[in-house]
Amino acid sequence: MANLKDIQRQIKSVSNTQKTTRAMKLVSTAKLRRAEELAKRSRLYANKMNQVIAEIAGRIKCNKVGGLNNRFFEKVENPKMVDIVFVTADKGLCGGFNIQTIKAVNKLLKEYKEQNVKVRLRGIGKKGIEFFNYNEVEMFDTVVGLSSKPDKEKSDEFIKTSIDDFRDGKIDALHVVYNGYKNMITQELHVKQILPVDGEGFECEDAQKRSMLEIEAEDEELMLNSLVVKYVGYNMYYSLIDSVAAEHSARMQAMDAATNNAKEMVKSLNVEFNKARQAAITTELIEIISGVESMK
Amino acid sequence: MDKFKLEILTPNGEIFNDDVVSVVLPGQEGEFGVLAGHASLTTLLEAGVVDVEKEDKSVESIVINWGVAQVDEGKVIILVEGAAPIRGANESEIAKALEEAKKLINDIADSSTAIASVSAKIESAAQKLL
Repeated sequence: MANLKDIQRQIKSVSNTQKTTRAMKLVSTAKLRRAEELAKRSRLYANKMNQVIAEIAGRIKCNKVGGLNNRFFEKVENPKMVDIVFVTADKGLCGGFNIQTIKAVNKLLKEYKEQNVKVRLRGIGKKGIEFFNYNEVEMFDTVVGLSSKPDKEKSDEFIKTSIDDFRDGKIDALHVVYNGYKNMITQELHVKQILPVDGEGFECEDAQKRSMLEIEAEDEELMLNSLVVKYVGYNMYYSLIDSVAAEHSARMQAMDAATNNAKEMVKSLNVEFNKARQAAITTELIEIISGVESMK
Repeated sequence: MDKFKLEILTPNGEIFNDDVVSVVLPGQEGEFGVLAGHASLTTLLEAGVVDVEKEDKSVESIVINWGVAQVDEGKVIILVEGAAPIRGANESEIAKALEEAKKLINDIADSSTAIASVSAKIESAAQKLL
């Protein structure tokens, strides 16, 4: 029969774990709220940015002879080298959050390998970096600490290498893989192609909406180039913000599940404990009664 | 006086959204002012100071490091990378805002003359507040 003391110790340990996971859940909930707020505010900027780019690109596409002839918007038919940036968390304990991203990266790597395209893997976030290091996948460069604390300047610095190399023709595409926030309980995996920018969506109508539009810069192309750099930089930053929000929501869920599991465990341990206690009492009683019987 | 809506957006959210009377922007080819009813225009902005004249005639200065302005007849939207509004309720707050604004400019401006001219503008804007 299980020892009463042992069971008691186990109950104590499990309920301590429960306390920890509950605290972690509360922390994640608070952090999630903040991250969500930031992502929401940032989206305003994104919408406007898209609008401005669509306007100018649309204008060039429709009014200029030869259309939109810009490296940033042109799809390369036979890419030789591509950049893949992945964003994972710096910490674990958030369910399948990191592994989902890693799987998507692996899939992309495999696809490119089959096409004989060289890939430069650029990592953000400790968990993903650890995984690829362990599996001896070569990485071009890595950053730790950026995914838990997104910073516009650092993110710009990071992505600048890719933008410059793309402009110089060293790479032909730039992908970003990250797990984004959908709502409190779901995350959404994003595998985005950031460069070249998809120019198909730009219509002449975008440019004609405002009849008296005047563009002050002498060279529209120059303006577009400057905008695209900011646009890509912003996209990278937004991926980071979105990923943080998703990380916290994933951790909140994981910790919630852990708390519930601990609760269940304490419950069943309590039942076991009571059974053992009763068994002990019964044995004791039988001993006394049989002692009394024998004295008669 | 006619007024129009001005929105200033940064990647971290909105920092200004109100009706204003006029706004002076640091365009790539020089400063230009916008009043209500301005013709539609899209242009890049350089590092510099955005002067916003509000309805009560007070002027607020906001330092930006890069931007793109979209001007419509009744609305002006400015997208900026980084911005530091020079405002504050008391001296220490203003001093702090000033500090931030200077940092923003020093980080990006490549020519020392640009830094000097913007810094001078920031200083005078702060002086007016004190």
